[in-house]
Amino acid sequence: MKKKTTGFRRKEMLWSLLFVTPPVLGFLIFGLTPLLTSFGLSFMSWDMMTPAKFVGGDNFAKMFEDEKFYKSLFNTFYLLLGIPLGMIVALILAIMMNRPLKGVSIFRTIYYIPVISPIIAVSLLWQWMLNFDYGLINEFIWRVFGVQGPNWLGDPNWVKPSFLLMGLWGGVGGTMVLYLAGLQGISSTYYEAAEVDGASRWHQFKHITLPLLSPIHFFVVVMGVIGTFQSFSQMYILASDGGPEYSGATIVYYIFQEAFKYFNMGYASAVAWVLGIIIFIITLIQFRFSKRWVYQD
Amino acid sequence: MHVYFVYKQISCNKTEKVVRFKLRTKVLLHKHRFVKLVCGGIQFIIHWGERQMMRKNKWAQASLALTLVCGMVVSGCASNNGNGNNNGNAPAANNSGQTAEEGANSEGTAGNNTADAKSEIEFMGWGGDSEKAVFQKLIDEYMKKYPNKKVKYTVVPPGEYYQKLDTLIAAKKTPDVFYAGGAHFNKLVSSDQLLNLDPLIESTGAVDPNNVWKAALDRYRYDGSIVGSGSLYGLPKDVGPWAFAYNKDLFDKAGLPYPSAKAGEYTWDDMLADAKKITVTNDRGKIDTFGVAGYTLESAVWANGGDWIDYNTGTVTIDTPQFAEAMQFVADLSLVHKVSPSPDDEKAQNGYARFVAGKIAMFPMGPWDQPGFWQLPFNWDIAAWPASPNTGKTATWLGSLGFVVAKNSEYPEDSFKLAAYLSLDSESQKQNYELGQAVPNLIDMAKGEFLAMDKAPQTRQVFIDIIEDYGKPVIEVGSKNLKWLDTFWQDASQVWTGKKTAAEFVKEEQPKLQKLYDEGNK
Repeated sequence: MKKKTTGFRRKEMLWSLLFVTPPVLGFLIFGLTPLLTSFGLSFMSWDMMTPAKFVGGDNFAKMFEDEKFYKSLFNTFYLLLGIPLGMIVALILAIMMNRPLKGVSIFRTIYYIPVISPIIAVSLLWQWMLNFDYGLINEFIWRVFGVQGPNWLGDPNWVKPSFLLMGLWGGVGGTMVLYLAGLQGISSTYYEAAEVDGASRWHQFKHITLPLLSPIHFFVVVMGVIGTFQSFSQMYILASDGGPEYSGATIVYYIFQEAFKYFNMGYASAVAWVLGIIIFIITLIQFRFSKRWVYQD
Repeated sequence: MHVYFVYKQISCNKTEKVVRFKLRTKVLLHKHRFVKLVCGGIQFIIHWGERQMMRKNKWAQASLALTLVCGMVVSGCASNNGNGNNNGNAPAANNSGQTAEEGANSEGTAGNNTADAKSEIEFMGWGGDSEKAVFQKLIDEYMKKYPNKKVKYTVVPPGEYYQKLDTLIAAKKTPDVFYAGGAHFNKLVSSDQLLNLDPLIESTGAVDPNNVWKAALDRYRYDGSIVGSGSLYGLPKDVGPWAFAYNKDLFDKAGLPYPSAKAGEYTWDDMLADAKKITVTNDRGKIDTFGVAGYTLESAVWANGGDWIDYNTGTVTIDTPQFAEAMQFVADLSLVHKVSPSPDDEKAQNGYARFVAGKIAMFPMGPWDQPGFWQLPFNWDIAAWPASPNTGKTATWLGSLGFVVAKNSEYPEDSFKLAAYLSLDSESQKQNYELGQAVPNLIDMAKGEFLAMDKAPQTRQVFIDIIEDYGKPVIEVGSKNLKWLDTFWQDASQVWTGKKTAAEFVKEEQPKLQKLYDEGNK
């Protein structure tokens, strides 16, 4: 069985190793090392200055009594509402864009622009738009409905809806493109057959379009959940110090504050791990349930 | 990490169409086997074809969540820039122009050959372009004077400064001389990171402690457990007396006498009465000119005999009646008396912008506000902070930022000399106050030419009174971890908006803050 490695093969192996090394090294240095370090740190107390102390499960115990942890976790879950909202709007847009309209590519581009705009600049623009007294949005509400709009970023009850609004504007373009791709992938023969059977437009949509788009739905939901759990930049710009009554802080923002404002590295790592486990469980559930509703033939 | 999708399409023809479409939208195509989507550091692979491939990679699903964690921490790191907090210190002071007599003297008197030995020290600070230019000039002159002493100057944006510093310390690459103030000074000195300057002050004679504000030096003393007394671990970069400015023109218009510059003469009641007379409503029913804005809670609480915390025992003391009363007084300025902008008003246009626009009669300011205020089209001056009618006393905070030397510095003496030069050189101190950045650290200069300076505010003595008499260190100086205080300010909005009375609030808040303080500082 043993075969002598020929010079050519060896050379080829060397080359393959050469190509494989950079990503492997990258993963080891920037992926695995921080991962293991943060795992170790989550059982320690470390302020980056004095040597780290082992504290066992104290960090985790502390979390369950920490009001801000719960608040930021709640805020993060609240923001998940943006996903179904975004899907509905994106699907409607995609269906509208899927027709042979004149200048359709211009519209597609317009809806896609927010996706490629840098989030910091976008957040700053929204900060002006959402201003209580001078913002464009409240100005619009005043002109059209004649009522004073809410104090978007100043009222604890309106901070999260502001983020949803912003997220909707920013995310709908990307989702729309995915749906467009999905829509164009549905064979027209289905619709023709349905029409022959006398199905209404609504029935066609419900029984053909929606189920055949289910892989896209699934993709969007998974990406959306992960993206929402990771959201940070908008909060950093728009809700300084967590916003009024900590109503704008997400869990990642909370981790950031603990780590780089209060330098509780151990505690921040512990929260990060709990967040990781939460995302892991949610993703697992999503995959489990996907078998029931995601169409695969 | 890969999440696998089975993306099988009805016909081959259609699949290709999908793929082609996606290609245009930043999707990579790999040999017709799968489509790779890169999104937020995670790769999604949609592939079609054999199903075994998916099973093989079941573990990939599990590792997805794990990589997220570090991915997020790293991304949190990377996207942090811009508006950080400066830990309540006076911002950027500008120094320039240099002769360095003190350094020259000490070099002569030291008499041993180490004084002129070659050394290279690192100095790190924060600030914008103007501060950087000034300090660079100062350092260049220092190096010209002492060709053997190299100084490497690093500037960090204010928001990132303490992050960077702590990372350097953790990596054992602490700069030799750097800025530190407030809670961070406390943290550094109690973790044994800073050099005790007392022996060097004696041996080099580069600093005359009698000519530097006691309040400023005390800020950098540490006795092994508490900041405020003991050995010296830093030299002040600046002192920032938080003063009470008023718009003279608005007082004239209302026919009112100006508030007194002497502590204790002008009380809360006087201020409220004046503010009511000055506050004007416009024809649309909105308040156009307010009597007062941004009234500093520290001033009210301390004047009334309350405090946030007793650092000797580590007890949070916000639940005293004096504290609650003072807090209620500040809240009522807008809630009841409507002489101060409400939080909503503040959000629309903050107090500073309103004061500058001539729409606020009384407003707090620090010395660093002077250059901005010199341009104002109205007359203004500073007065003593209003006194509490209960105690007859007044108070305010005194900010400061310091130069400290790392304990493990390779060249402690040279580092100390640089710090002393930056802190106390008379030429740079002069420039500093002429630019309207700070009150000089040197007492003779402050009481001499600074008082005589021909620019607003006229009553400069108020600054000196605050430094010598009723200015207190900012609340944070005794803390290492500020989570408790930040939480207080966050939650205090419930009082400012009138959701809770101050008495209710402090009672509920005290145990919470106590717990946070204990966690972070004991």
